[in-house]
Amino acid sequence: MPSLPQTAGADPAAAAAAARPPRRKELSNLQFALVVTVPVLLFLLVVVAYPLGYALYLSFHEIRFFGGYSAEFVGLANYKAALADPKFWRSLGLSLRFTVETVVLTIGIGLALALVLRDLKPRWRWLRAMIILPWAVSPYGAGIFFAYFGRGQTGIGTALISAFGFDGTLNLITQAAVIEYLALGAAWNMAPLVAFFLLANMLTTPKRLYDLAKIDRMRSYETFWHVTLPPLRFTLFVFTCISTVLALKTFDYIFTETQGGPGNSSTVLTYLLYQISFVNLDLGYGAAMSFFLLALILGTTGLIYALWGRREERK
Amino acid sequence: MTGIKTTRRQAVAMLLGATALAAGGLPARAEDLAASSGETVYFRGWQFRTDVVQGNVDRYNSEMGGNVDYATVTGDYPSIMEKTLIAKGDLDVLYANPSSAVRYMGGGWVKPASELPNGQEIADAMYPNIREAWSVDGKLLGLSYFVTTRGAMLVNMKAVEKAGMTAADLPTTWDEFYDAVYKMHEAGIENPFLPHWFAEYFGVSWGFVFEVMNRGGQVADPETHAPVLTADGPAGDTLRAWKKLWKSGIIPEEVLSYNEAGYIDAFRSGRYAFSPQQLYDIKTFNDPAQSADIAGSVTLLSAEKQSWGLIDSALYVMTNRKRSAALESDVEKFVSWYGYKDQDGTFAVANRWLEENMLFSAYKPVMESDAARDSVSKSLMKPEDYDTVLDVYASAPYPKSIWNVVWSEEFNFWLRDKLFEFLQNDLAPEDVIDAANAEMERLNKRYNI
Repeated sequence: MPSLPQTAGADPAAAAAAARPPRRKELSNLQFALVVTVPVLLFLLVVVAYPLGYALYLSFHEIRFFGGYSAEFVGLANYKAALADPKFWRSLGLSLRFTVETVVLTIGIGLALALVLRDLKPRWRWLRAMIILPWAVSPYGAGIFFAYFGRGQTGIGTALISAFGFDGTLNLITQAAVIEYLALGAAWNMAPLVAFFLLANMLTTPKRLYDLAKIDRMRSYETFWHVTLPPLRFTLFVFTCISTVLALKTFDYIFTETQGGPGNSSTVLTYLLYQISFVNLDLGYGAAMSFFLLALILGTTGLIYALWGRREERK
Repeated sequence: MTGIKTTRRQAVAMLLGATALAAGGLPARAEDLAASSGETVYFRGWQFRTDVVQGNVDRYNSEMGGNVDYATVTGDYPSIMEKTLIAKGDLDVLYANPSSAVRYMGGGWVKPASELPNGQEIADAMYPNIREAWSVDGKLLGLSYFVTTRGAMLVNMKAVEKAGMTAADLPTTWDEFYDAVYKMHEAGIENPFLPHWFAEYFGVSWGFVFEVMNRGGQVADPETHAPVLTADGPAGDTLRAWKKLWKSGIIPEEVLSYNEAGYIDAFRSGRYAFSPQQLYDIKTFNDPAQSADIAGSVTLLSAEKQSWGLIDSALYVMTNRKRSAALESDVEKFVSWYGYKDQDGTFAVANRWLEENMLFSAYKPVMESDAARDSVSKSLMKPEDYDTVLDVYASAPYPKSIWNVVWSEEFNFWLRDKLFEFLQNDLAPEDVIDAANAEMERLNKRYNI
């Protein structure tokens, strides 16, 4: 067997190390994240900085279009006015209610769908492709669809009760329940995507873990809790953040479904902002209020990260 | 039948031609209205019979060599158009309600129709009251798209008869009307009344305004725009009647979230006996192809003792964005052809609207033609209703005090929200009236009025 030529008197281990290509230091998670995201962030900065800066400028001014355009500096007056406006607080409450319900329903329905899709028999697996269809519907379309679906006159409630022989109408878009109904529609729209990602995660869980669970005589909920759920937690965290942001800034879906109604029962913060900025043309006040919405979005996602995301990262 | 139709059409065309000659002088020559710039004229409107509009535009493009781009705008039409105007977007001619047009004029974004070469002729062809409603500082805002009555109280006689009432028992004032509603409910009609409380910008707020005006009141002073609502006047009476109605449970809550289509569908379903609707929709409701459940049984309440509804109208308005001189001329030609007379001197578009959808016009020659009588008569339940339709149309008030002012749209949305709050949160009528007066004062102050 031929051997490698060796230099007389040299340490073989050192020679082998010298022969190897120089070892590069592995990028840390943070470095890798920066490499991937910094170009995008720079692009966003350019695209977002101007409108954001302009919105900030507007928020310190009273803008008038009638009798000639004018912008009068008013300092923090618009911010103070927003904080003193009962409509702002009411809409804020409705936004939070809608968001919490949407996120819970989206994640819950998404998880349930993923479990169902995972266990489908081979001949039913085509359903995995079909189930994504609701996500393909635009929020605008979903709004129109759910508006007809919920009304007493044309809706499913009336169809159901008449199927049972009752004469009358059942309206689902009521002052008391409109937010819940909106959240259900928003979850219908988003949950299939969650289900798809969770399903992809579930399919990577080794089957032997389930076999071991059987050997340990785990009950089904124990298996779910100790085997199925742990690998899903990071995906669930990510989608909780995404759903939260989407729910807080939902506008078109609510605009087409309820127009902030019945009455103003679903006038969430985005809808109020629309009325102030685009109907009343009170751009300064609208801009100031929009920064509260921005703060709410950043604060909520930051809180979710602090309470949940960091823990998942450590794991 | 075809032969008779042709003959009648020919007669109508001759009559219209003669009337047009008498009212407006010689017809425009084709070359006066032909497009010449080769540039695109952007024409935008809301979604209503887009097939008819596209057909008219196609005719102009084909016969006048025009390059008009027509499209519709969905959603909150006034706000979207306002943003397009502010941004000086691709927009040359648009539909507008008078209240919006006044606001656009206040912003300096539109060009008055008075500045058209034939502006005076157009103004002269209009009914004086409409011309006045559509004018600000002596300038005519636009050309006539339609004029109708929103809030004409339509009656589904099938439901009325089901409650044991006859045409002779029909109410003639708002107070009598509410009495009749409760009586019908007691007689077993679950939903006798579909009120004008829907969610569109022309829904519940307009419903309040026309009821106040039908009862003889005003929302603000027509000249100074200072608020004049009082709790012991028509505004208070209206709100108290609404409160009682809402608390009675007769009105389904879903009405508050209807859009216009939902509102029309609801009445078309036959569930309701009365509803304040667009006057021209009586044609839709009496058409078996469109409203099988109520067709042939929809009449309207008489305006003998009081008016019903308000004058609802729309105009074709020109923008004043920067254009080449040739394009400017094309815009003027198109709007004149479309909103006034075509190259044959005929009110072609206005006549077609009357024929197709019973949309009335601001132009005297259109409304005083036999074609108008024919068109309206065949849309009615009974021939006698023709006079009632004209009475309701003629007596409907125009809320100049809150529409011919720059804050009109803002107040309208504010009022919409406040009225919903009034119903859903059980506010006192006095508080709503005080708040409405305060809001108008605030807006007057904001706009230095």
